[in-house]
Order: sequence, then C-alpha cells, then structure tokens
Amino acid sequence: MRRSLWSIIAALAVLALVVAGCGGGGKAKKGGTVTILDTEGGVDSLDPGYWYYQDDYKSLGQPTQRWLYGWKPNETTPTPDLATALPAVSNGGRTITVKIRSGIRYSAPLQTRTVKAADIKYAMERCFLPQVGNGYYHSYYGDIAGADAFTKGKAKQISGIQVPDATTLVIKTTKPIFVLTSGRALGMPCTVPIPKDYAQKYDKGKTSTYGEHAVFTGPYMVQNDGKGNITGYEAGKTLTLVRNPKWDKSTDFRPAYFDRIEFKGGFDATVAARKTLTGPRMLSGDYAAPPVAVLKSGLSSRKSQLVITPSGGNRYIGLNTRIKPLDNVNVRRALSAAIDRTSLRQTRGGPTIGTIATHFFPPGIGGFEEGGGVQGPGFDFASSPTANVPLAQQYMRKAGFASGKYAGPALLTFADDAPPAKETAEAFQSQVGKLGFKLKLREVPHATMLSKYCEVPKAAVAICPNFGWGADFFSPQSMIDPLFNGKNIVPTGNVNTAQVNDPKLNAQIEKAKTITDPAASAKAWAALDKVVTNQSYFLTWIWDNNVGLESKDMNGVPSKFNSGEWDLTFSSFKK
Amino acid sequence: MGRYIVRRLLWVVVLLFLVSLITFIVFYAFPTADPAQLRAGRQPNPQLVEQIRHSLGLDKPWYVQYFRYMKALVLHFDFGRSYHYNVPVRKHILDAVAPTASLVVGAAVLWLVSGIAVGTISAVRRGKLIDRLSMGGALVAISAPVYWLGLVALYLFASDIGKVHIFPGAGSYTPITDDPVKWFTSLILPWIVLAASFAAFYARLLRGNLIETMSEDYIRTARAKGLRERRVVLRHGVRSAITPVVTAAGLDIGILLGGAILTEKVFNIPGVGMVAFDSIQNADLPIIQGTVLLGAFFIVIANLVVDVLYAFLDPRVRYA
Repeated sequence: MRRSLWSIIAALAVLALVVAGCGGGGKAKKGGTVTILDTEGGVDSLDPGYWYYQDDYKSLGQPTQRWLYGWKPNETTPTPDLATALPAVSNGGRTITVKIRSGIRYSAPLQTRTVKAADIKYAMERCFLPQVGNGYYHSYYGDIAGADAFTKGKAKQISGIQVPDATTLVIKTTKPIFVLTSGRALGMPCTVPIPKDYAQKYDKGKTSTYGEHAVFTGPYMVQNDGKGNITGYEAGKTLTLVRNPKWDKSTDFRPAYFDRIEFKGGFDATVAARKTLTGPRMLSGDYAAPPVAVLKSGLSSRKSQLVITPSGGNRYIGLNTRIKPLDNVNVRRALSAAIDRTSLRQTRGGPTIGTIATHFFPPGIGGFEEGGGVQGPGFDFASSPTANVPLAQQYMRKAGFASGKYAGPALLTFADDAPPAKETAEAFQSQVGKLGFKLKLREVPHATMLSKYCEVPKAAVAICPNFGWGADFFSPQSMIDPLFNGKNIVPTGNVNTAQVNDPKLNAQIEKAKTITDPAASAKAWAALDKVVTNQSYFLTWIWDNNVGLESKDMNGVPSKFNSGEWDLTFSSFKK
Repeated sequence: MGRYIVRRLLWVVVLLFLVSLITFIVFYAFPTADPAQLRAGRQPNPQLVEQIRHSLGLDKPWYVQYFRYMKALVLHFDFGRSYHYNVPVRKHILDAVAPTASLVVGAAVLWLVSGIAVGTISAVRRGKLIDRLSMGGALVAISAPVYWLGLVALYLFASDIGKVHIFPGAGSYTPITDDPVKWFTSLILPWIVLAASFAAFYARLLRGNLIETMSEDYIRTARAKGLRERRVVLRHGVRSAITPVVTAAGLDIGILLGGAILTEKVFNIPGVGMVAFDSIQNADLPIIQGTVLLGAFFIVIANLVVDVLYAFLDPRVRYA
C-alpha cells in the first residue's frame, strides 16, 4: 500500500513536470533563423524512403515534405495532408481509397508539376527496393496485394496499389489491416510523393542517389541550386532548410513560422546543451536528454527552458529465453523482482527522464489504459519501483533453486560502452548479483552491440541491458509484433531478442492485427501486453520522456508522434 | 637527392597499398558491425538485408571485394559511398582536409615557436627559477588530456558558454575563404589547446638535447673564439640540438593531418578527425578506410619531408 502511494505521488510529480514543460510559453512570432545543435550526425539520409528515425522526421520529414497523412503535435490520430480525408474503407476492410488534393506543387526543378496519385504509388513501391533501404515496408505494407511478387522481382509494379485517376489512390490488401484502414501507416514517409520519371534514374545502381536530387512539397526545402542538386547538406556537419517558394500555406495545417532552419552537427553533448540553454535562437538536437550534469543544473536554474514530453517509448533489459536458466519463466520473474528500477533510472538522470514502468506498453499507446494504465496489471514482480529480493528469492525457489539463488555459470551479457547506458548495465549487474547471478559483461560500441551480438541469435547472448523501443504512430502493433512474434526471429537484425516463438501468442498477434474496430483493437493488444509482461521476456524499467532544451527566446513545440522531438513546423520564436 | 626522392615516392605507393590491404582485412573481414544490417536500418527483414548485402557486393569473398575497391580507387579515385549517410566518400573526406590543415598548421607554428623558445631558455638558464617554472608548467601541459583541456578552455573563455567571453566557442569554425578574420579568431582556442602538450613535450626534448650539446667540445671552441653567447647558443647549439625536434614535428604533423580527433570533437571543427570519429561510431567502413588511407599518406609524406630536411640541417647527412 505504501509503495503504491509512493508510486502515485511519483507519477503525479512527473506528470506535473511534464505538463509544466509541455507547449512552451509565449505567443508565436513569425520569421527568423533557428539553429539546432546536433551531437552526432543528424539525419541518416536525404531520401524519404529511408527515413525511419526521429531525427529524420524532425529535420526533414515534417519540415520539407507533405505525406499522405500528417500528425499535429498534440494529436495521436493522423491528419489528412496530401489526402483530402481519412481513407474510405470497403470490401470488408480489404480496399482502401484515398483522395488526393490537387494543385500541390513540387520545388525546383519540377516547379511546374503538381503531385499526382501515381507519384505516391511510385514512392510506396520504391520503399520495397533494396537500394532505398527502407526499414518498415514489410511490417506495414507487406500485406498489400502483389507486394510479394514485386519483392521477388516477378512483377514490375505492386498490383494492389492502383491509381484510377490523378487524384485517387486505391490500396488493396490480402486481409484487413488496421494500421492501413485507420490511415496510420499511411502517415509515414513512404507516402511522400516522388515522380517516377524524375526519380527512376537515381534509383538504379547499388544505392539510390535520389536524396541528393530530391524535390520538396513541404514548407521548407534543403537549400539547392534550383537544378535538382542539393547544396545545403554536408553529411554529419550541416543541414540548411530554407522556405519552399512553391508551398501553398492555404492548403496545409502547419503554420511554419521560421524563415530558415540550420542544423549543426558534431557537438560535444555537454557543450551543445550548455550553448542551447545560455545562447539565443537555439533548440536542442539529436539527443533525447542532455547529459546528467547539465540536466541537473538545468532543473535547478533553467527549468522553464526544459520541455519534458513522454516519448511513447520504453527501456528494457532483454532476456534470451533460449538460454538457461532464462528459459524458466520464474527465473525471469525473479530477475524482474530483483531489479531496482529507481536506481536504474538514476543512471540516466532521475525522475525527469521517465516514469517507472509497471508493464511493457508505454503511455499514449492504444491499449495502455486497457492494460492497467500507470498502475499496471498488478503482477507483484513488476510493480515495485525498488528491488524486492525476498520476492525474487521466492520465484527462484519456484524455479527449482532451493536456496533462492542462482549458482550456475556466468551469463554472457553485452552492453553499450558509453554513458549513460554503460552505467545502467553496470547497475543491473550489481543488482542481480544479489540473486547469485554472475554476468560476463562485455561493453562495446552501440552499433556493434546490436548488429554483432544482441540482435544476432547465433551469438547466443543471454542478456542485453540496453534496449529501448518506441511505437510507430502510437500503434500497439508496432510494440508487440516485431518483438514477440515468432515469425520475426531472423539471423541478423533480430529484434525478437527474447526469441519468443509461442504458436498461441503468434496466433493472438496475427488476429489482433486484423481487428479494425479501434476499441476492440486496443483491448486485444492490451491482452497481449499483459501476456508479455507476465512472461517477463523483457524487464521493462522505464517509460521514457524526451527532454528538449530551448533558448530563452524560443517556443519549441514537441511532437507526440515523433517521440517528443521538436515539430519545427509549429515551433517559433516568442513574441 | 632527386633519385632518392623518386625512390622514396615509389615506396609511398607500396606502403599505401599495404596499409589499404591491412585496413581492408581488419575492417571488412572482421567488421565491428554488419554493414548490410546497418544500411537496412532498425527492424529490417532478412530478405532486404540479403539484397543489400548482395548489391554492395558484401556477399563476395574479401579478396574480390578488395580488388573491386582498389580498381575503383586507382582508376577513378573513387572511395565508394558511405554506408551510413549514402554520400560519396571522396568528397566527404576531402571537404574535411582544409579544416584539419588549418588547425594543425596553426597549432604546429604555435607549438614549435613556443616549444623551441621555452626549451632554449630553460637549457640556458638551467636550474634557475625560470627553468623550474617552465619545466613544471610543461609537466602540467603534458599531463592534461586534450579533451579536458578543451572543455576547460571553453568553459573559461568561450564567448557563448565561458565565464569570461573572449574567444569564439565550439562550432564557430569558418573557412578561410569565407572570412579570414573569423577563421583566425575561431581557431585561437583550438590552436592553444592542441599546441599545449606538444609545446611542452618539445620544450623538454630541446632542453635535454641542448644541455648535452652545450657541453660539447665545439661549443667550447666557439666560445674560445670569442663569439657572442647568443650566437653560440642559436647558431651552434640549437641548430645541432634541434634535429630530434624536427623528426618529432614531422611525424606529429603528419599524424595530426590525418585527424586531430579530440580537438576537432571538442571544438566541433569539421575536419578529418571528426569524420573518422563519426565513421567509427557508425561502423561506416568505406569512410574508415578512406580516413586511414589519408592518414597513412600524410605520415609517409611527412617522413619523407623530415628525411630531406635532415640534409639541410646536418651537413654530414647526404643521400645517394
């Protein structure tokens, strides 16, 4: 009872902080140049087909392009952008018809052309091409009729994407797919229009070079020479956005206050955070939270310049269920009870950076409330914010360890070698030591950790303490299907790191995908959230916040759709 | 001398070939991450990963990959495309050479001038207060990590986040072609930070050599001939004692032209070091390969320059 009370107080405190941080202050002022300081390289690519990360959406996706459906900063449902309305669904959910606005123009060198439905068809098709390297087409567009034949090279087009006329796009699927019928998966950058006759020459070869010649439909464009060559981008260093003269404000829901947006990459994180807080006309860049020291000093002296938003993601410790003793559900529950989630959160900066998690789904996802909300489903091993060693020992005994402690060989563990993730892994190591677990902890760079070890089943890594996952477009499907569906266990890039392949669970996931009624869908996914939490495949310890920093004269507006990153088309200077 | 230089230049080609082969084997045969998976992004399906692996030629044996790489490099001076940014590697790296050269050349001037001056004064005033202060300061400068020194310099003197707003801060680098004054002012702090430990090391090196040289017979002879002490020290002492400094300077400048990673990172100077750092973080093998080759090129060229300089500094050295 006492713990529950503390949980509620802590949750309310964080909520108050979040509410205080949201939305910025002051009225919007039109014009001016804003500078965004990145610590790493910023965007991954200039190609809309490749965009799948927060930075891509923030820096290019939202400011420079119009998607079939866009996302207003505070809304969790899509807003028609190039489309005139939400999709019309027929044929038992298998046919989706979208009407396109007419008269939307491209930037130079295609300034005389308007967007046609065929441009969106080509954009979606090219997302299937390996030279584009899209990371989500198979998850959301894989059930479009003819997609399989196109992928295997047996068809030149996807037969299920049709354009009966210049303003109508028809998508036919092999079964009803909620993320398509609701328009959510059409609010992704694969629907950014790309004219086939212009782009096809750049899409040939090993990797597409279309990004270097991209045309724009949004309020801004990457600075270019007007002849189809980008000049405002130096990979990893600078990105300059200027107004797109062909953008018609009267057809768009975005105010686009700034005149110019400049991204500067490569800063030391501490220097970037301090510059943003002390200087004028700046917003924080590609880091979800500032370094712990800056966060602490910011909270004490510049609280109004911190914008705290739930990111719609979580952080968890991955357990490989194919490795003993983690194949035993009671051992996994014991580990869940043994970890001190509050201490783990301290390694990243304390309560500001998130709420202690009581189940897998983070707030804001369909099914979160149905799954128990902040209180969670009530599993004793997952509900305590601090370690409960006696309870953990009970679960160890249930698992067959009479002493309540593990006495087997050390477990191979791979973690990040950079703070704060490194500290999280080391804290975890110390916590599970109380249950007798010894870890063979190896710390490596993040990219190595994922692509060589944690996401490679053959590497037989038992524990990976530095995982996090965020939902696409608030979709519970994107939280469950990739991570727990047995069909997604692959030799490399395997995000089902627990290697769960339970036929009953797989069937339950496949069924949930086809439920097109929003309420019934949320309920079905909440039931799955409960299953995976009860099985403790992952030890979820925090629901993340995004901590944005803004200069005193800025009115940064975070985007819920984009994990709390700035929506630069709504952000502005203060009046 | 001409034949010697031509022979050394041919060796440069052989050395670069060997460096490219070793780098290729280290990074391509035993990569720190799977390039195809990195290119495919998070949550890729296996089919896409395999298609990318095939299209990049990563499914071929390493020697076939190496041959293709070298063929493109030799015939077209093409270093390939970045896995991470999908941009041409050649332009990405060459764009970074000018900022690195600006940083290194300026810092080298600073550390050579200050290192030689301090080292000479310390040697001449051996055991005096100025010698003790100089060598104590040198010890501190050698011990201070560049990254730490850079951050401290920024927190003290940067015009944006500093306590005393004197110098432009991190990210203020401006190309000399855009604005020579801004270029100069933006590099003052980085030059000082990068030069500090080198100047200290050179001062200690020169001091030691000069003390030894000043006890040589020919120095006594020079004094006995009635030459002024300044002339004895500078013309006879320093000229002889400076040879190891030239060796060290040549190599240090060569190494740094391949990227002064820490200084560039802390001051956000978009040089080769930053490119290398970024590519290692992203396991971006074509860029790693390109920066290693560039670094190796500068080192072997610097070695050659040092060897040629010897002949001018020391009349006993002659190359056949």
